Amino acid sequence: MLRLEQVNTHIGGLHIIQDVSLNIEKGEFVALLGSNGAGKTTLFRTIAGVLKPRAGTITFNGVDLLRLPVHKIVEAGLVLCPQGRQLYPELTVYKNLLLGAFPIRGDKKRIQKNLERVYAFFPILQERTNQLAGTFSGGEQQMLAIGRALMGEPRMLLLDEPSMGLAPMIVKQIGEVISDINREMDTTVFLSEQNANMALNITDRGYVLESGRCGLEGPCEQLKKDEKVRKAYIGA
Amino acid sequence: MELFLQQVFNGIMFGSTYAIVALGLTLVMGILHIPNFAHGHLYMLGGYITYFFITSLGLGYWPSLLLSIIVLGILGVIMEAIVYRPLHDQPHINAFIAAVGALLVLEAMAEVIWGPQGLRIPNPYPHTFQFLGIIMSVQRLLVIIGAVVLIVLLHLFLKKTLTGTTIEAVAQNREGAMLNGINVNRVSALTFFISSGTAAVAASFISPIFVISPAMGAIIGMKAFIIVILGGMGSIPGAIIGGYFLGLIESLGGGYVSAAYKDVIAFGALIVIFSFKPTGLFGKKEG
Repeated sequence: MLRLEQVNTHIGGLHIIQDVSLNIEKGEFVALLGSNGAGKTTLFRTIAGVLKPRAGTITFNGVDLLRLPVHKIVEAGLVLCPQGRQLYPELTVYKNLLLGAFPIRGDKKRIQKNLERVYAFFPILQERTNQLAGTFSGGEQQMLAIGRALMGEPRMLLLDEPSMGLAPMIVKQIGEVISDINREMDTTVFLSEQNANMALNITDRGYVLESGRCGLEGPCEQLKKDEKVRKAYIGA
Repeated sequence: MELFLQQVFNGIMFGSTYAIVALGLTLVMGILHIPNFAHGHLYMLGGYITYFFITSLGLGYWPSLLLSIIVLGILGVIMEAIVYRPLHDQPHINAFIAAVGALLVLEAMAEVIWGPQGLRIPNPYPHTFQFLGIIMSVQRLLVIIGAVVLIVLLHLFLKKTLTGTTIEAVAQNREGAMLNGINVNRVSALTFFISSGTAAVAASFISPIFVISPAMGAIIGMKAFIIVILGGMGSIPGAIIGGYFLGLIESLGGGYVSAAYKDVIAFGALIVIFSFKPTGLFGKKEG
């Protein structure tokens, strides 16, 4: 479904992503592990089209993503829920969600159905539908960001460090919802996490990014046993 | 008392024009995060385009106004595409310089085509009457009522339609909007169309009362810029209230002190406000 070959991304003069290749099939739930500064966010921004790589190819269902602007990539069904959430702070929860449904605008029935599903995942969003997004706590903002990303019915969802800066309770709740999204909604999920413990427990397999290179990959069970992964990301 | 009411009436009329021009400027500023210094010059050109349709083509006032909105709106879209969009990822100073270049081009263009002297748009509603001792004309009332209608329509568009909401979305988080599948270039173009189109309305309403000249763009552009800072960068209510505020200060100052000092009084008051409230009346923290 998503295939990267020898992707190289530069920011300013820095060579951040170096020869990364990966492949994700429809329906999979895959983790991208790596420490702070390993290049996870840069890799996701490259896939979503915000950054254009200097070399390599990225295809999504056979379509060359490098030719498409960001909004066309979203229309193709690949949606990034970005780090820092990138919400609209002075718009209400409802309008934030409505803008998430921009790719299916005009289809009121589908939008209503998706809205109900998002509210079922995160009941707090329904309670606070008229509140401004900027007044939310970090955890609530993350729920809204995930909800907004779901509104456009992505075929593949990239989640960039949804657990960042959140309390363990909220991380657990968000982890459960992401699993549900993958299972119930048949959405392919690519989850970037520094919190390897959470990620390895819910995903099927993972890639490990180190200094912009894809060092290690494999099923989660195998990664959990790997000495290097344990030392670096699990702390055991 | 009659002098006071007369000056308040005139102040509201000038304020209506300032509010609309500042509103257009603040909309674009919200999207681009840089001031479109050429906005006052677009306003000036809006007056000339209306003049052209009325006097050169012999069209009526309202068809000319409508055509002026469309022509100036398209000009704004072209300006965004060739002047501002290529500079989007560059340092802001580059866009500042480009904006100054654009306003010089617009002013020179108006001067070459229509000459430096003032021209008069035939007043469609010159009829005057007295009300509470105030001398009013239908055209002056049109300036005031037209501004209110325009502000209400714009508010409804921004708050109640999805397309309008995308303008607010791009202003609040450009990258977030891209990742929601919004074509931010199209939103920028639309914003420029609305901004330029409303400037054409403001110019076409008030121009039949006074004269139009190529130099009028610079002064109203500067005033609009100050109103936007006064009202708080990117704040729509701030631009509206700031516009009426400046119109009233100018008019009352001009009426009670001296018409020759009206700009001095208006700008002096702004300096005093800024020294007490540097973020502007409705300034946001980051502003």
